[in-house]
Amino acid sequence: MSVRALLWWLPAGAIALLASPPLRHALETSMTAQMLLQLPLLAVLGGLLAAALPTHVRTALARWDQGGCSGLLLASVTSLLWMLPRALDAGVDLPWVAGAKFLSLPLLVGMPLALSWPRMGFVLRGVVCMEAIASCFRLGWLFLATPQQLCSNYLLGDQQRLGYALLAIGGGVFVLLLGRLIGGRWTLPAGEARRPR
Amino acid sequence: MAALTLYPESERLPRGERITFNLYMISALLLFVLMMVLGVIMRMGQSLWLDVPPDLFYQVLSMHGAGMVGTMSLATTAVMWFFLRKYVRLHLWAFLANYLLFLCGALCIIGAVFVGRYAGLWTFLYPLPTHAMGMWGNGAAACFMVGYLFIGVGSLLFYLDAAAAIIGRYGNLGRAMGLQWLFGGTIDPDHPKAVVASTMVVIANSLGILAGAVVLVMYLVAIAYPEFTMNALYAKNLTYWFGHMYINATIYMGVMAVYELLARYSGRPYAISRPFLWSWAASCVFVIVVFPHHLLMDYAQPRWVAVTGQVVSYLAGFPVFLVTVWGALTNIHRSGMRWSTPSRLLILSMFGWAAGILPAILDGTIGINRVMHNTQWVPGHFHFYLLLGVLPMVLALLYHVIGSRRAAPPDSGADRLGVPVYLIGGMTFALAFLDAGHMSVARRMSSHLAEWIPNDRVGAIGASLVLLAMVYFAVRIIHGLLRAPGAESTAHAAG
Amino acid sequence: MPNRLRTLLASLCIVAAGGAALWVATDGLRVFTTETARRVSIRATPRLLPDVALQDDAGARFALADLRGRWLLVDFIYTRCLSWCNVLGGDFAQLQQRLAAPLRDGSLRLLSISFDPAHDAPAELAAHKRRFGDHGIGWTAARPLDAAGLATLGHAFGLKVVEDGMGGYVHNASIALVDPSGRLVDVFDAGAPRQVAAAVQRRLAQ
Repeated sequence: MSVRALLWWLPAGAIALLASPPLRHALETSMTAQMLLQLPLLAVLGGLLAAALPTHVRTALARWDQGGCSGLLLASVTSLLWMLPRALDAGVDLPWVAGAKFLSLPLLVGMPLALSWPRMGFVLRGVVCMEAIASCFRLGWLFLATPQQLCSNYLLGDQQRLGYALLAIGGGVFVLLLGRLIGGRWTLPAGEARRPR
Repeated sequence: MAALTLYPESERLPRGERITFNLYMISALLLFVLMMVLGVIMRMGQSLWLDVPPDLFYQVLSMHGAGMVGTMSLATTAVMWFFLRKYVRLHLWAFLANYLLFLCGALCIIGAVFVGRYAGLWTFLYPLPTHAMGMWGNGAAACFMVGYLFIGVGSLLFYLDAAAAIIGRYGNLGRAMGLQWLFGGTIDPDHPKAVVASTMVVIANSLGILAGAVVLVMYLVAIAYPEFTMNALYAKNLTYWFGHMYINATIYMGVMAVYELLARYSGRPYAISRPFLWSWAASCVFVIVVFPHHLLMDYAQPRWVAVTGQVVSYLAGFPVFLVTVWGALTNIHRSGMRWSTPSRLLILSMFGWAAGILPAILDGTIGINRVMHNTQWVPGHFHFYLLLGVLPMVLALLYHVIGSRRAAPPDSGADRLGVPVYLIGGMTFALAFLDAGHMSVARRMSSHLAEWIPNDRVGAIGASLVLLAMVYFAVRIIHGLLRAPGAESTAHAAG
Repeated sequence: MPNRLRTLLASLCIVAAGGAALWVATDGLRVFTTETARRVSIRATPRLLPDVALQDDAGARFALADLRGRWLLVDFIYTRCLSWCNVLGGDFAQLQQRLAAPLRDGSLRLLSISFDPAHDAPAELAAHKRRFGDHGIGWTAARPLDAAGLATLGHAFGLKVVEDGMGGYVHNASIALVDPSGRLVDVFDAGAPRQVAAAVQRRLAQ
């Protein structure tokens, strides 16, 4: 098997494994596990799949994705849809929504993000990071402050544990990024020149 | 040490840059005048010289607050850009994007207030915006929040571009702020103060915008999903984290005009020093955590937060203020200052900031705050340093720029008259507020008791004088900005 | 076509498609949770309920369809419940007073259905009613006779039951309204008997 085929089959196999009933059941019994493990893992595996795309496909895609804008938009819109409590419930209850979940997270979130990230400039990357941190805080707050279960399939306690976890993740990422901005070593994306004029 | 040329070559703006800068500043001047008109209308209404129905009053108050903060930020962002671009490579698209997003945001806010009748004030404290008891709809509240989001995203784009440029030049934000020189080492005498200040603003205001991005979207969630109710105290903390940072950033952006211009008019170098770096580093930390001093009357807030708010509010304002005012005074003392409109405005701004910070610090004291916070003392203090401190910084730069396009500092008779009219009007107006605070006149009320009205009338007269001077400045500066740039046309003629 | 234009085109398509998907997924930005979706869907298109065999708190067997011809208020409970079912029980006892007239003349019936039939025998169901001060008019507590019946009912009503990890259940507690032709037409929050009574009286007056 060639390296490229391996790059293709390993993540694809891992996605299939995640979709297999025992693993699916294990990760979907808790809201925390689903949102912090299953969904991010699917996106990451999709990102790995991007490496297996043939060069000519990548070049063709790049022409439609200057500065990483389209890929970022695609990933944002898709992940926004999967943040709806209703979608999360339906992904557990209805087979066709589950299918959409196991396909869209790798192919419409992870893969475009992996392809577009290297094309994004500092500003766009900064916006992505800020928005990710803000979303962690927003969702964490929402999950903690809502008196009812947002997802019918999960318990309130589970939802609140996830809320705290999201606040912690948002805070952690924030501190790391701030520390790196203030004291880190930087190699900026291509095109960010060093000296004025 | 850079030579003290009045109009250095590096500040000459190429065509695209000049047009964008003009767009920023002309929009800001027009908006300032309009927002001042709204302010005068409110003071006239309280004076019973004008019939302002209460519902309209609160709409006007909301528009005035949101509009002034936004416009001040727009204008001082252009001040920061004007100086920072000399040292690092900023992208014009980011500067322009900020302007366009600001316009979108301004349209949303104007629509929310005057079409949707939103009157929940610029601080949009929960749950007022989403529970208007029929005064305005949730759509208007949502439109207002979206307007803020546009403006916040615009600022963020500009700051991120500035951060990229600063990092590209200095390695990281810490080195740009001169943190490596805090405890020793030889300070690079050419390290620009504008870079230190810009970096501080980028860090602190991005945090504020993050808080705003969280709380504003949560309002939208609360509107879309009414079962969700926010903890009003958390919402208020985040709101003030955002609002406090956003308006304070205007001071730190505006003050770059003092750092850059003062020395040129005094003719004496204005060196960077270790205390200068320390004060900016300290203020960067303090300004981020000082916002609880807006919540000293929220008794549900834990006591330690209130105490922190008081202690930090003493610490936060002082370092940069002391080092700047002290630096400015030593810089102009016996320097043979070149007196002209820009330098007069610079000195006025130092006075306004210095004098305005005293009532501010008084209000940040728990014992005083308990008595004064819901009185006009509060608008008194912030109008003092915004009107007499920050706005003159912007005007000083603009006068300097129109001077540079004519190659001489503007100093006509009307200019010489305008500055004192502005000062006297501004002082009268701000002192009337402070005196009203002393009389316990309630803040933010459309109708006033008969005993308060003489004071309101003094304030209204002061405000009208400010408006008069500002209209003159706006006309004068817009005219100056739109004229073909002198330096370029002579270059063309020579070539 | 320059790449910049291509990107703009692709971005616009993505925003349009994403916006449309979001619009559909939230029924026009109104529905974000499964529970709201259930209620919105029931109000828009009333569901004809299946006929299921039940046993009441006196031990008598009957079919859900036997109750047609009158309005029904239905809640789902389990008698060991320590939380929401207590609210629902209190609601029903209050509704017995607020809606005494239609309950007495037979144009309305209150029906509590247990989703824990293995445990909730007629004696437990009767005790459940007594615990909340049953006023003795028009309230029947019942359990499905077989698992298939429970599943059919749960599906029709959109019942969600999750084990709480402490031997009990968490469920989407609410009060459903069924019209005389046996169609599920509305769903109300638990803990708001006044609103439920007002809504039922409006329906009865029509």
